[in-house]
Amino acid sequence: MKCSRCLLPLVRSGRTAAQRCALLPSTSQLIVQHNEQQQVLRYFRCSPASAKRGPVPAQFVKEDEEKGTKSLATKEDLFEQVAKEYKTKDTFNKVIDVFTKRDIRRRGHVEFIYAALKKMSEFGVERDLSVYNKLLDVFPKEVFVPRNFIQRMFNHYPRQQECGVELLEQMENYGIMPNTETKVLLVQIFGEKSHPMRKYQRIMYWFPKFKYINPFPIPQPLPEDPVDLAHLSLTRIANDLDARITIYQLPCTDFTESGEEIKLPHIIGIQSPSQMELLAKHNPEKPVFVEGPFPLWLRKTCVYYYVLRADPIPLEEKVEEPYDPERCFDYPLQLDLDLDRDLGDDESFDVDDLDEGPVFAMCMTSQGDQATLNQWISGLQQNNPILGKVPTLFRLDAGTQELQGAADTEPGYRHQAHPEAQREEAQPAEDPEAVVEEESRRSHGMKQ
Amino acid sequence: MSLPKISCVPASRLLSSIHDLRWLLRSVTPLSVPRRALVQSEYRRPGQPREDKPQWQMFKFDFSKGLEGIKKHFKLLRHEFSGRLVGPEGKPIIEHMLEQNRVIWEFRGPDSLQEWTLSSDREIGGQSEIYLKLGRNSDTCFLYGTLQNAPPRDGETRYSGYCTMRSKQPLASFDRKKHYDWSSFNTLHLRIRGDGRPWMINVATETYFAHQKYDIYSYFLYTRGGPYWQDVKIPFSKFFLTNRGRIQDDQHPLWLDKINTIGFTLGDKAEGPFQLEIDFIGVCKDYAHTEDFAYEVYKRNPEV
Repeated sequence: MKCSRCLLPLVRSGRTAAQRCALLPSTSQLIVQHNEQQQVLRYFRCSPASAKRGPVPAQFVKEDEEKGTKSLATKEDLFEQVAKEYKTKDTFNKVIDVFTKRDIRRRGHVEFIYAALKKMSEFGVERDLSVYNKLLDVFPKEVFVPRNFIQRMFNHYPRQQECGVELLEQMENYGIMPNTETKVLLVQIFGEKSHPMRKYQRIMYWFPKFKYINPFPIPQPLPEDPVDLAHLSLTRIANDLDARITIYQLPCTDFTESGEEIKLPHIIGIQSPSQMELLAKHNPEKPVFVEGPFPLWLRKTCVYYYVLRADPIPLEEKVEEPYDPERCFDYPLQLDLDLDRDLGDDESFDVDDLDEGPVFAMCMTSQGDQATLNQWISGLQQNNPILGKVPTLFRLDAGTQELQGAADTEPGYRHQAHPEAQREEAQPAEDPEAVVEEESRRSHGMKQ
Repeated sequence: MSLPKISCVPASRLLSSIHDLRWLLRSVTPLSVPRRALVQSEYRRPGQPREDKPQWQMFKFDFSKGLEGIKKHFKLLRHEFSGRLVGPEGKPIIEHMLEQNRVIWEFRGPDSLQEWTLSSDREIGGQSEIYLKLGRNSDTCFLYGTLQNAPPRDGETRYSGYCTMRSKQPLASFDRKKHYDWSSFNTLHLRIRGDGRPWMINVATETYFAHQKYDIYSYFLYTRGGPYWQDVKIPFSKFFLTNRGRIQDDQHPLWLDKINTIGFTLGDKAEGPFQLEIDFIGVCKDYAHTEDFAYEVYKRNPEV
């Protein structure tokens, strides 16, 4: 059990020493006083924190005076005593310093390190390598290094080795690569063939191998601005280097006639030239659908995007357009060769090709309601005039998020100028969705 | 450029090039080793009391069930015998020798979902959920659910939050274990549409020793997200050996001759809903890939 509770008997004479010390002028360093038996007395006397942050360590002294007699104190208390607003890297380092300077033998360091590992995320330092190195420094050096073959055989100081491995495992979980300082510390503390050293070697072997295997890498500090985030995610899902991003609206506040403030969301869309071509070839009698929101995960944040797509063209209506030979002069786009190829040269899978219909554009917005998406469509219309003639249906479901297939029921749309929202239950009964649809006939330049 | 489907191949032209007919008997196992029986029960948490039912109460003896079982198993047995007459593994020898691509799993009907087992955090006391259903066009599978990171409060589990989908072991007649033989291929090809989350592909092979029971070869599957399908090609030389989730020091390449199951795991510590659609899973032979194994296989006790 990784328990960090232990009995911490306070030295009785420590209290009198503290009282004595209180009379001394305040210094900025820890005073180690020796009594008659030349024992090192332990009491809390920390340097004051920097002026701007207020009296953090004063709480340590107060706590000590309250607990006069022996009491059960956990190692986590040291961290919990730091007030919430002061939980930073500096105070974390100070707590470690308090512990290390308290006792030359570092009694209870294993429990302290376990408690510190647990509290790291509260202080916000779990991704900081220097803090891990400082925590590793808490171990006394050269005590746990095996000195003969019997010690080497029998898992010398297993509890400390386990604690070291635990520390490295937390580093591994957060994806932090250790450095030479870590290695030197580990060699000094545990020796060269110890478990923490082996763990360090494993981290140093596997981490570089897997660091760059993501074919779609995400930048380390994700952009916080929602517009930049939308830019990044749209270029990611577009799968086309020619795709162009258009910002239709930046986030701003607008005032209505009654004086209320409305926050307008950002609307960013993306469309590539091939998507524009597909949209231009689309049959104006068939509707196009605005579907969403679909989730996209970028490390730990989830963003939502909307898609403008149409149903796949049924086989009867498919027209095979011959390749235009003047499109590319470097090589012929179509070859009519009578090659004698057999099963051994067949490189395609024996699978029916899925045709889910073309996707014409994608967009991301913080507010996914009808009005915002209408704005997006009107913005798209400037480059794709066909959108003015094609009826647009909105399928904004709150339930499952997958691209709807061609076989789904299409709620009928009405050829009327004013929009009407109706609720309809879609056919698959397992996931009742609210299909909000609106028929909108748009003319050029009409913004809704 | 699409190739015309080859329906009849001049077999005599190709067969005459084979001089050694012993090659045809490649799929026959040379010696009989005692086979381990197939255990497909639910996971029992260590520490949970075992069920105290006597053996005869564990099975449901039913006449109709027995009759169905007889029909099913004898049908499979008949297919096996007639398959041997066609060629190795029930396919003509030409196909077996020359095929470049083989689709192993595709999701074209509700029966295809029966081949897969879902499992999540819930078994050890967590709160993640995972569900599998057919996609909208009945052509793909849709794996979705929620991931929760909160570890179960049992005092010993420290990390949690995982969801997996694993294929069931293929069975021959009378519930004997059958293995996939992918020795003529070297790449795994998947067509998926994820939501940007990184998954892990786990391939489990047939093992012999007890300490190899949880040996799994894994590799990462990074999804791009978005409305477009993603073709993922992972050569088998990239799969590294893990046991119970821990990557091992002694690495060796994945042996393709007796593959049992393939699985997908999600454990990326991001709480929230996830979804993954799979169109098909196939294996192919990539002639341009000449790597044997991506990781070092020497140095058991490396110096510091």
